[in-house]
Amino acid sequence: MSENTASASGSRLRKLLASRDIQHVVVLGANGTMGYGSAALFTQAVPRVTFLARSREKAEEGLAAAIKQVRSPTVATRSDVGDYGVDLEKALETADIVFEALTEDLEIKRGIFDKVEKGRRADSIVATVTSGLSINQLCEGRSDSFRKHFMGLHFFNPPNVIVGTELIPGKDTDPELVAFVEAFARVRLGREMVRTSDSPAFAGNRVGFKVLNEAAQLAEQLGPVLVDRLIGPYTGRALTPLATIDLVGWDIHRAIVDNIHANTTDEAHATLKMPDYMANMMAAGVLGNKTGAGFFKKDGKTRLALDPSSGDYTPESEIKLPDLSYIDAVAEKHSVGRYAEGMALFLAAEGDEAAIARKVIAGYISYAFHRAGDVTESITGIDMIMGAGFNWAPPSVLVDTMGVGPAVAMIEQAGIPVPANLAEAASAGRTEKFFNHEQVNVGKYFVAS
Amino acid sequence: MANSEVYVLGGYQTDFARNWTKESKHFSALMRESVLGALQKCDIAPEEIESAHVGNFAAELYCMQGHLGAFFTEVHPAFSGLPTGRHEAACASGSIALLAASAEIEAGRYGLQAVVGIEQMKTVAADKGGDYLGTAAWYDQEAEGIEFPFPKLFGRLGDEYDERYGLKDEYLAEISRLNYDNAKLNPNAQTRTWYMNKEQALCRTDDNPAIGGRIRIADASQVTDGAVCVFLASREYAERYAKGMGKKLSEIPRLKGWGHNTARLRFDDKVAESKGNAYVLPHVRSTITSAWQRAGLEDVNGVDGIETHDCFTTSEYMAIDHFGLTAPGESWKAIEEGWLEIDGQHPINPSGGLIGAGHPVGATGVRQVLDSCLQVTGEAGAYQVEGAKNFQTLNIGGSGTTSVSFVVGVD
Repeated sequence: MSENTASASGSRLRKLLASRDIQHVVVLGANGTMGYGSAALFTQAVPRVTFLARSREKAEEGLAAAIKQVRSPTVATRSDVGDYGVDLEKALETADIVFEALTEDLEIKRGIFDKVEKGRRADSIVATVTSGLSINQLCEGRSDSFRKHFMGLHFFNPPNVIVGTELIPGKDTDPELVAFVEAFARVRLGREMVRTSDSPAFAGNRVGFKVLNEAAQLAEQLGPVLVDRLIGPYTGRALTPLATIDLVGWDIHRAIVDNIHANTTDEAHATLKMPDYMANMMAAGVLGNKTGAGFFKKDGKTRLALDPSSGDYTPESEIKLPDLSYIDAVAEKHSVGRYAEGMALFLAAEGDEAAIARKVIAGYISYAFHRAGDVTESITGIDMIMGAGFNWAPPSVLVDTMGVGPAVAMIEQAGIPVPANLAEAASAGRTEKFFNHEQVNVGKYFVAS
Repeated sequence: MANSEVYVLGGYQTDFARNWTKESKHFSALMRESVLGALQKCDIAPEEIESAHVGNFAAELYCMQGHLGAFFTEVHPAFSGLPTGRHEAACASGSIALLAASAEIEAGRYGLQAVVGIEQMKTVAADKGGDYLGTAAWYDQEAEGIEFPFPKLFGRLGDEYDERYGLKDEYLAEISRLNYDNAKLNPNAQTRTWYMNKEQALCRTDDNPAIGGRIRIADASQVTDGAVCVFLASREYAERYAKGMGKKLSEIPRLKGWGHNTARLRFDDKVAESKGNAYVLPHVRSTITSAWQRAGLEDVNGVDGIETHDCFTTSEYMAIDHFGLTAPGESWKAIEEGWLEIDGQHPINPSGGLIGAGHPVGATGVRQVLDSCLQVTGEAGAYQVEGAKNFQTLNIGGSGTTSVSFVVGVD
């Protein structure tokens, strides 16, 4: 199976796209963030998109939010609204794709699928945007036709900004349909598509939130300012980890890491336990940016940082940091495009802080390579979703930039399991590249700050 | 003429969606990635490069930096001491660098040269950038004190068509739609993930605001950071290179023909000169036909596709009849018939062009030649024109002022 239609020839793509005509998409749960964001995306390429919600008013709210998000008049001209009671049955008669974006709850989703099963055309595609539930469980007990046409299509939030998208076939999904949806999403919706297995949190969130949670664990001792400096842009990311958790919301963070922690038993299990201080603060209403406070908050123009031990906030300028001049030296190399030299400085940097940063990066690489073959067919799928879904340097890009020998030495030094293929390449002294996507400019991930 | 053949061994472009200011990077990083990327892609050792030409419009304004040829030597220690230089002709800067390099190859001075087209534009706000671009016109007569002068100049190109032949904006919207659609197939195109469709392009509300007469945002090319590096080689070098790569010389693309004209700077003067001429910009027509002559082609039927300079939809509309796809003034017919689509009879801008792929000013001419190479070697991936053997570029600086065209092909 191809993990990426980017390599498909033009004629193969055109043939795939011509195999189905998508005239009408029905979005269920169109008032939620993922619902209206995805619905807006579909209006780009589909003549008719129906926004459905519990009530017509809710659906209208979703449409209004979609118009605001995308700022194109075609969102309105191509859309109609309705509710599940009155309008669903009629909408299903013409739906080529039914896109489900209800609350992340197995029973709620199953309830709506009862109705979809009754009313859908035998050839309609049914996709779910779930980020945590099992695709096979969601369609368990459904008709052959339903299961054959059912798959996960996981857009990241907000869909109009983040293009990385996971495509998760169930065990009975028709492979031709999967190929069609992959081509459609890529060419018509401008998505970067990655196929994953039906595993907890799929690929991107599994690997990404492992790193984010480890940063949250470290913040308990080091404080959020130092952690975000250490795991900062120079390590290969646009946004620092704790600022990312504040942006996505602590509740979402908890839902994802709890799901992974409860349903996996891998070598890095302990890093997926959400720290208790976060649970305590969430009980007091702290959820990140949406509540105005998380690891960071703003007081006018002053940025304040959380003290996890007390729950108090201190102006960032008053927080004393150790000597981090190695970060400036790395950033200076990145700024003139000398990324390998920058990463060499990172690997050679002395002091406890640099060692902590290396341990997190080593953990990221190790965890990703250990998941390859399980959550994606190869490391390429994880690479692509970390790049296009998180805007992080893909694990293979880090290995290639450091060199496999130094990367393995870093992982060993951190006391973390070394992935077998990396160990083998390092001991054989091989110099092949692990990142397998020549169209991606790997330099873009090394932000010079 | 056999000894004066100029081959294009290949090259590399940076992802035009990147914002190098957001990455906190100096433009030397941009040059470095394009050159090292090209060396790797083409499997050429840095020591092989004998000379370098850099095409750039306005780094002095955007980056407070001149003397760009010298920056080439920063890319690799092997480049220290190489003869380098920088070329400027507004949005045609990249093509002028290619012309200079190819002339040196024809003269027998060098066997292998690097040509880099480069522009970093996102260093300044849109209005300031628009003002800088105004220096590609006669600044104090056509641009000073005018917000976004170039959309207005190219809006007037549309008005001139309207006056002479009639022009419906829906055809301009269709040009925009097609470029955005094609860009979705190009993994280096700036707009490949943007929300766009025909209705959006046709939209005449604040969601698609007017920026210069009939020119709206969707009619315009982008503000882009990007660099492209290609390698030009003599026949002798290309023969060796082909052999080393296990290829036949006939599989290596060649600059089969070129055209180059410069018209008067002010738009009014150009239009006044062309009164009574069937072509609105006769010097552009001459650039296209002289490239055919040098390539031994009769007309546009000799090429399998075109990468043209759609800085605005009106410039592509102009290109359609100037390339002779239709009679003068009838460009709309080619649009209506679907000829310009990737699988149409005269594909234009399969890459997405300047509107879809992006327009880092000094890099565009080089990007067009690189895309043409990818097409004629069957390496264009999802935006491949099936079976293409010859492609033609048209790169324009100013308001139709400096025009350069190359025919790139394999035998």
